[in-house]
Amino acid sequence: MPWAKGEDFIDLKERFEGLRIEEKPTITALHIEKERIIDLLKALKEKGFKLFLDHSVVDFPDRSPRFQAFYMLYNVDERKRVIVKTWTDGVLPSIEKLWFAGKWAEREAYDMFGIKYEGHENLVRAFMWETYQHFPLRKDFPLEGFATEYLPSLNEVLWGDNLQGLMNYDKMHTPVPTLEDLETTEKKRLQKKAQIVLNWGPLHPGTHGTMWFLFDLEGERVYQCDVILGQLHRGVEKLAENEMYNQFLVYTDRMDYLSALCSNQAWVVAVERLLGIEDLVPEKAKYIRTMMSELQRINSHLLWLGTYALDLGALTIFLYAFKEREKLMDIIEGITGARLTISYTRVGGVRMDLPEGALEVIKAFVKRFPKELKEWETILSRNRIWLRRNIGVGVISKEDVYFYGLTGPVARGSGVPYDLRKFEPYDAYGWVEFDIPVGENGDVYDRYLVRLEEMRQSLRIIEQCVQALEKMPKSAPFFAESPDPKKLKLPMDGIGLKVPEGEIYSSGENPRGELGFYIYSTGGVKPYRVKIRPGSLYNLCVYPKLMKDRVIADAVALLASLDPVVGEIDR
Amino acid sequence: MEGLLAWLVITLIKIVVILAIVLGVGAYLTLVERKVAAHIQRRPGPMVVGWHGLLQPLADGLKLLTKEDLFPRYGNRFLYNLALVMALVPATLVFAVVPFGPEFEAFGIKVKPILTDVNIGLLLVFALGSMAVFSIALAGWASNSKYALIGSMRKAGIIVSYEVVITFAVMGPIILAGTLSTYDIVQNQIDQKLWYVWLQPIAFVVYMFAMLAETGRVPFDVQEAEAELVTGFTVEYGGMKFGLFPLVEWYIEVLSLSAIAVVLFFGGWSPINIPFLGFVDPLFFLGPLSPFVWFVLKVSLLFLFVLWLHWTLPRYRIDQITETAWKVMLPLTFVNLVLTAVFAPLIWR
Repeated sequence: MPWAKGEDFIDLKERFEGLRIEEKPTITALHIEKERIIDLLKALKEKGFKLFLDHSVVDFPDRSPRFQAFYMLYNVDERKRVIVKTWTDGVLPSIEKLWFAGKWAEREAYDMFGIKYEGHENLVRAFMWETYQHFPLRKDFPLEGFATEYLPSLNEVLWGDNLQGLMNYDKMHTPVPTLEDLETTEKKRLQKKAQIVLNWGPLHPGTHGTMWFLFDLEGERVYQCDVILGQLHRGVEKLAENEMYNQFLVYTDRMDYLSALCSNQAWVVAVERLLGIEDLVPEKAKYIRTMMSELQRINSHLLWLGTYALDLGALTIFLYAFKEREKLMDIIEGITGARLTISYTRVGGVRMDLPEGALEVIKAFVKRFPKELKEWETILSRNRIWLRRNIGVGVISKEDVYFYGLTGPVARGSGVPYDLRKFEPYDAYGWVEFDIPVGENGDVYDRYLVRLEEMRQSLRIIEQCVQALEKMPKSAPFFAESPDPKKLKLPMDGIGLKVPEGEIYSSGENPRGELGFYIYSTGGVKPYRVKIRPGSLYNLCVYPKLMKDRVIADAVALLASLDPVVGEIDR
Repeated sequence: MEGLLAWLVITLIKIVVILAIVLGVGAYLTLVERKVAAHIQRRPGPMVVGWHGLLQPLADGLKLLTKEDLFPRYGNRFLYNLALVMALVPATLVFAVVPFGPEFEAFGIKVKPILTDVNIGLLLVFALGSMAVFSIALAGWASNSKYALIGSMRKAGIIVSYEVVITFAVMGPIILAGTLSTYDIVQNQIDQKLWYVWLQPIAFVVYMFAMLAETGRVPFDVQEAEAELVTGFTVEYGGMKFGLFPLVEWYIEVLSLSAIAVVLFFGGWSPINIPFLGFVDPLFFLGPLSPFVWFVLKVSLLFLFVLWLHWTLPRYRIDQITETAWKVMLPLTFVNLVLTAVFAPLIWR
């Protein structure tokens, strides 16, 4: 586990008196009072913990102070992670000067828990609309919400109270935003300074989902830009607190719906690590999971390539990419039984063994896919129009990668070799050989090249996994055996899976960046708090900065190069 | 009196024939485009309505005609409808000066297969071409939508830039031919035994660029730009009103400008040319029909070339397009103009 050790912080202990270092196998935490948290974070940043990963709070309604806030930091050079914790009653100093990504995380914590941040430039709600009264992730917020609005369905209007059984449910619902609410929200986000404000989205083909961009335009040049999120907010973190560990698995599919298998894998690895059964998982299951999530990565990158080319006007590449993607979907469907929301992995292994002939199909795909890839590159990579649209657009420097908390291909495109498959190998990634492609300039073109090369590297991993799997006997187990069923019940459907007290932050390398799960467990079958670190959200937070002084035509290129998925941003 | 009547009847017949051909072909080019695009993208394209989708344009037309006529709130209804007229009429009028073939005799009357052989034919073409900017600006303005407005402003910027370029590009052939009449330009090429493309390759390339830009084809389709502007200035139009804009821009204008390109650079209805030596006609067996077939063949090839580009290339950004126009294309046409002026006496001998 790549956690920093206690001895790394000896010098800090002298500078900060109240500092308490907590070292566990699953986590290394620094505890400090909230008055000195900024100083400590600053000192950590100078020490090399430059990459901001995540920040949120855990709610304990019956304690005082009520909220435990945590900040996750990463040292990319020494490959160490640390978590900083503090207690608060609802007010925290803002870290927006240290990390811009913190600004967005703080907005989310304000939205969900009502934490006030001192010194925050623009403390507005992240997902809910401005006039919303409640804080949904607080423990005293009921799961069904506060039913205050009378919103009958069409059937109820037509039939009145004559509806029977399941049709006749409550007519009172939690409030939904009205047009006035949305207008207030919009006004609060962006003060018009230039000529016209262009509402780009929430439903717009260029936004790849339901994001609402506001562009303040001076002619066609973007003077300033902001994003209104939350159109796809489903409260996944609240759901996680109320579902069993394996039940929550299906929600990870629906977060980043383009890379469901990778999200599945990240979640079960996190739970396995929390249970301490990572070594119990059979080798075969690990290889299968790795192979499947690499297939999913190619699948996801293919969708990115297709839509990206489509955004830049190259319509044909879109269909080429989707044709290959269709083949991949068929392979995945044949193995797992599902195409989009897959839920193939389980805590302790995978749901079922590979069907007969699966490896042959994958081998055939691996053999012919590089040819296709080369053809597309012939059309795009040296195309003069493509180069002019891409090179020098949206340059992200290395410092910006840390400042904005960028991960995944976006970080690698800027030359930061941050790849959790290498830094913190989970499943079979430690046993296979592959390289991490990195870019030089950090512009859109570099991110494009990085993703293309990643597809090739994924093929390499798949090839090695197939070789390893071919050597294994058909009867090899694909699900973990519990060493002591009385102490730890490990059923495939996850019912009765009890997780001991503890906490963990574990993350997987998704196609769109680091997908991290911070699980706080107080024992039992359900987690107490799950904070999901969505790669897409933090990758998106650099967008307003990149868009400044660019034209709208670049908006699509930039957005597609960051490749966000709204299901993961909003959760 | 009788002469006048005959002229009137012949002109009317010509108008009907040309209109029918242009609009009918324009509709069926949608099918051609869809089929070409489909085969470039490795799929069959329309296959259900009729044999290999042959009736698809009719079905599409029927669908578009039966759609509800929507009008954006706070838009300007007069300008909104005027934009349609301004788009269709100038684009179709260009065909008035396109010569489809050599003069022939029918029932003892000499007929030129050109509606009006005015001696300023080319001027008319480019005057009508720049009318397109009004239709687009009006459409964008009258729709009362920001997307439409941005799309139309982009298009206006492009047309203003490329009108200059295209006018200077055709100077070369005009100098060589010594006339502005489209019919005479072709006749001169046949007399001089020379397609002007051999002497004017620069002008031809620039002309093609300008043609793509004016008709809004890839790589210059910034005014549509599905991804960022959701089809730009046509976003508030529905039904056949919406269908008319691509019909005009993508088919009729491309056809008319291809026809002009054939007239200027490829000797109109003449068969394959060997510079300064003569013409070789592999289609001699068609007899008097051969020139017409050659003309149609050349125009179709140019049209297919445009389609090929459209379904292969990505799209430029607006500033890059205008930059190319003013910084690359315009100087090139100037160089071409000077070179032509120096070499023209050789052609005239």
